[in-house]
Amino acid sequence: MATRTKDIQKKAEELITTEKSKAPAQQPLAVPADNPVAYPLELPQGEARLRTPAVGQRARRPDGRLHGLGQTQYIDDITFPHMLHAKILRSEYPHARIVSIDTSEAEKMPGVMATLTGAEIPENSFGPTYQDQPVLAYPIARHCGDGVAAVAATSEQLAADALEKIKVEYEPLPAVFDPLEALEEDSPKVHGGDTNIYTSKTIKKGDVEKALKESDHVFHRQFRTQMVEHVPLEPHASIASWDGNGRVTLWTSLGRITLGREDLSRTLRMPQNKIRLIGTVVGGNFGGKNEITTEPILALLSKKSRRPVKSVFTRGDEFISSTIRHPFVMDYTTGVSNEGKILARKIRLVLDGGAYCSWTGTTIGKGSILAPGPYDIDNVLVEAFAVYTNKTTTGAMRGFGAPQVCFAYESQMDDIAHKLGLDPLEIRLRNGFSENSLSPTSQTLQSVALKESLTQAAERFGWKERRA
Amino acid sequence: MLVELKVNGEPRSADVPPETTLLKMLREYLNLTGAKLGCDVGDCGTCTVIVDGVSVNSCLMLAARANGHEVTTIEGLANSNELHPLQEKFEEHGALQCGFCGPGMLISAKNLLDKNPDPTVFEVRDALAGNLCRCTGYTKIIEAVIDAGRVMNAEQANS
Amino acid sequence: MRTLDYIAPESAADAIALLAEHGESARPLAGGTDLIVDLKHSPGNIHILVDVSGLEEFRGIEETDEGLRIGSMATYAEIMENPICLEKTPEVVAASHTVGAVQTRNLGTIGGNLVTCVPSADSAPALMVLDAEVTVAGTNGNRRMPIEEFFVGPRKTILQPHELLVDIWIPKKNLGKPSSFYKFGLRKGQALALVNVAAALELKSGKIVEPRIALGAVAPTPIRILKAETFLSGKKPTKKNIQEAARIAVTESKPIDDFRASASYRCQLIQTLTQRVLTRSLEIATAS
Repeated sequence: MATRTKDIQKKAEELITTEKSKAPAQQPLAVPADNPVAYPLELPQGEARLRTPAVGQRARRPDGRLHGLGQTQYIDDITFPHMLHAKILRSEYPHARIVSIDTSEAEKMPGVMATLTGAEIPENSFGPTYQDQPVLAYPIARHCGDGVAAVAATSEQLAADALEKIKVEYEPLPAVFDPLEALEEDSPKVHGGDTNIYTSKTIKKGDVEKALKESDHVFHRQFRTQMVEHVPLEPHASIASWDGNGRVTLWTSLGRITLGREDLSRTLRMPQNKIRLIGTVVGGNFGGKNEITTEPILALLSKKSRRPVKSVFTRGDEFISSTIRHPFVMDYTTGVSNEGKILARKIRLVLDGGAYCSWTGTTIGKGSILAPGPYDIDNVLVEAFAVYTNKTTTGAMRGFGAPQVCFAYESQMDDIAHKLGLDPLEIRLRNGFSENSLSPTSQTLQSVALKESLTQAAERFGWKERRA
Repeated sequence: MLVELKVNGEPRSADVPPETTLLKMLREYLNLTGAKLGCDVGDCGTCTVIVDGVSVNSCLMLAARANGHEVTTIEGLANSNELHPLQEKFEEHGALQCGFCGPGMLISAKNLLDKNPDPTVFEVRDALAGNLCRCTGYTKIIEAVIDAGRVMNAEQANS
Repeated sequence: MRTLDYIAPESAADAIALLAEHGESARPLAGGTDLIVDLKHSPGNIHILVDVSGLEEFRGIEETDEGLRIGSMATYAEIMENPICLEKTPEVVAASHTVGAVQTRNLGTIGGNLVTCVPSADSAPALMVLDAEVTVAGTNGNRRMPIEEFFVGPRKTILQPHELLVDIWIPKKNLGKPSSFYKFGLRKGQALALVNVAAALELKSGKIVEPRIALGAVAPTPIRILKAETFLSGKKPTKKNIQEAARIAVTESKPIDDFRASASYRCQLIQTLTQRVLTRSLEIATAS
C-alpha cells in the first residue's frame, strides 16, 4: 500500500513537471516553481551588517503564538449575550436624491429590533480632511456604496432580509464616472458648486517651458492606473454597546482609534469621555481601516435597541463601500538632451477621488512630490488635481500615491532609454539622485545610495547577462 | 436538524438550521472561532478545516454533510503540552503577521505534510494556492512549512 | 443563507423521485463549490437541496471492458490520485488539477463541473477529445449520449429537473491516446480559464489519425473544432498543418469581450494554445 501511494505521488510529480514544461511563459520570475534557492536564505556578511548586528536577527512577533493557535480574537470572534447583527442598505444609484425612506415594513418583522436612516444621525458628516462624507447618505447619495439605511436584527440573515423590506424612493441625478470628464465645466457636480476639483497642488522648480524648448528630445505620454481595493482578509467589523449610563463602548477593527473617537464624538454629538473605543487585533489594514465606517451607525442602533450590535462587512461591502486606492491619470512631458540627461519634466496628475475626500490630502501631497521620480531634474512643474466622481471613495493605501506616479515615471524612463538607444539601467544612473541632490521641493537629500543600490542589484541578478 | 461531529477528537453536536455551513456551526454553535470567514465564496481559504483527512473550505460545506464525520480545526493542532511543529515554525519564521490567514494556512499545510512530509517548494505552493495572505507575502510561509516538514521527518526518524 | 431543506437520499432512485416531486424548487447538491456560492448570493426559488454526493451509483472510478467509468461524484482529488486515471487519462488529471485549489478539488466533483456547465469548465475539453460519453438517469430510466450533446448553453445542460448525471465513460480505444490539455488563466492558481484547450490524436504511418480538438471559454459551451479535425485527419504532422488547424480553431470560435479579456486577445490565445496542445500531443504520439 505504502509503495503504491509513493508510486502515485511520483506519477503526480512527473505530471506536474510535464505540465510545467509546457508553459515556460507562466513561470514566475522571482521564485521559480522549481525553486533552487536554499531555505533559509543565507544573509550576506558585509561590514555594515557587522556594525549593526541586530539587523538580520530573527525576532519573534509577540502575537505570533496566539495567531498560530487560532486563539487571537478578531471582532467577529467576539460575541455578547443578546447581541444583534446589523446590515446596511446601499444606494441603488450612483447619484440620487433620496425622496423618502420607509422602514416600517422592516420594523414589523419579528426579530428586527431597530432601524436607522441618515436623517437620524446627530451630525451626519465625517472625514479626516474635509467632513464631506455622510455616515448614512441623506438627502443625496453620491455613489452605490453609500449606505442609506441600517437594520439591527437577531440574526445576520434576518437583517439582510429586512433590508429588502425597506422602501427608498430615489430621484436619480446625472452622474460622472471619468475623472477627466469630471473636470469639464458642464459635468454633473458631485457635491454641487461649480467644480468637482476639491483639492489641488502645484510644485514649481526652475523654468520648465524654457528647458523643454532647449531639449533635444521631448517625450509625452499619458498613463492611467486603476482602482485597487485593499482586500484585508478580515473585513471591516465592529461591535457597539450603549450602556444604561449613556456611555458607548465600541470594539472595532479600526486602525486609528483616537481619530475614530474624534469622528464618533462629532457624529454622535457626544463628548469623547463618554466614548470608549477598543481597538482589537486588526486582520489586515493596509490603509483601508484608517477611518470610521459603520461605528456611529452601530452606536445608534445599540442606543435604540439597548442591545450590543455587531456588523461585519461582506466581501461585497468591502469592495464597494470601503475606501480604495486613487486611480491616477498622469500626463508626463519630459525634455531630454542627446546625452540622456533629463532637463525638464512637466506633469499633470488627475486623481479620481470617488465620492468623498477621505485621505486625498495626503495622497495628492505625496503623489505630487514624488511624481518627477528620484532623478536630478532642474526644471520641474507638477500640477495635481483631485476630482470628485460618483464612484467608490478613495482613501489611504500603502504609499499614498507613490506607486501610481512610480509606474508613470519609470515607464517613461524606459521610453527615453529605448528612443536614445541607451540601456534602461544607464539612463537611470545618468539621472539618479546622488548625495546632496535636491528633491523636487528643493530638500537636500542625504544618505543617498540610489546608484550604488541599482548597480549592486543589477550585478546580483545578472542584468547585463540577461540582456546580452 | 441535529448534526453530530467528532471535532478534534471530541464528540460534539448541535441543532442547526439545514442551511448552516460547517463554518457557521463551528464558529457560532461550537464556539470554535479559529476558522475564519474571509470571502464566503471559497476563494481565500481562511475557513479551511480537515474533514475525514481532506482539507475543505468550511464556508462551502453544509454542516449537515459533515454529520457523522471527523473534523480537525486549528484548535486541534497543538496538544496541551506542545505546539505542532508547523505552529512552532510559523512563529519562528515570522510567517504570521496580522494572523487572519494563519488558521487556514496552517490547516492546509498540515493537510499537505500529513500526506507528503518532504514536499518540494512547488508542492508547497500548490498546496497553499487556496489560502490567501495579504500581509507577509508567501515566502516566509513556504519556508516555515518546509522547515516544519524537516522537523517532523526528524521526529519520525527518531521515534 | 436563506432557509433551505436538506435531504440526503439513500439511493439514486430516491434522489430522482425527490427531484421529480419538487421540480424547480429542488436542486441536487454535489460538491457545492458552485451551488452554495450561488445560494448565498442569488438563491432564486431553490428551497430544497438533495445531496447526491454520497450515492454509491454516482461514485467510483473503474476500468471495464467498455472503457473507463468515472462516477459523476468523483472529486477532482480522487481523479488526481487514481492510478488508472494517472496512467490512461493524464490530461483529465491535468484538467482536474487546474480546476481550483486543493480545498476545491477535495469537495468539487467532475459531474458538478459538467452540470454547472460554465463555458470555461476545465474538465470538459479534456473529456471531449477522448470522445467521452455521459449517462443521465431520470424518471424514464437511463440514457447515454456523447458529452457534446450534454451542453446546451451557458449554465444550461440537457438535464431535466428530475434528471441526474450518473457517470462519464471514456471508450477503451481512447485510454492512453496521446493527448494534451492547457489552461490559460490570469493567475496560475484559482483563476477561471480565459481559454482552455485539449487535443488528442494518433500517428499512423506518419499521418495524423483521429485528431480531436476541443476548446473552452470561447463559445457559449465547450466546443469541438470539427472543421480543424477534418482538416488534420490524414495529414502529415507538419508545423504548417498545425498552424492551419489552429487558424481554423480561431475562426470556429466565438469568444466574447468581458472584464477578464478581450475577444481579440482570446483569439490570439486560441491560435497559440491550440498549436501548443497539438504539438505536445504529437510529441507524445511520436514518443510512444
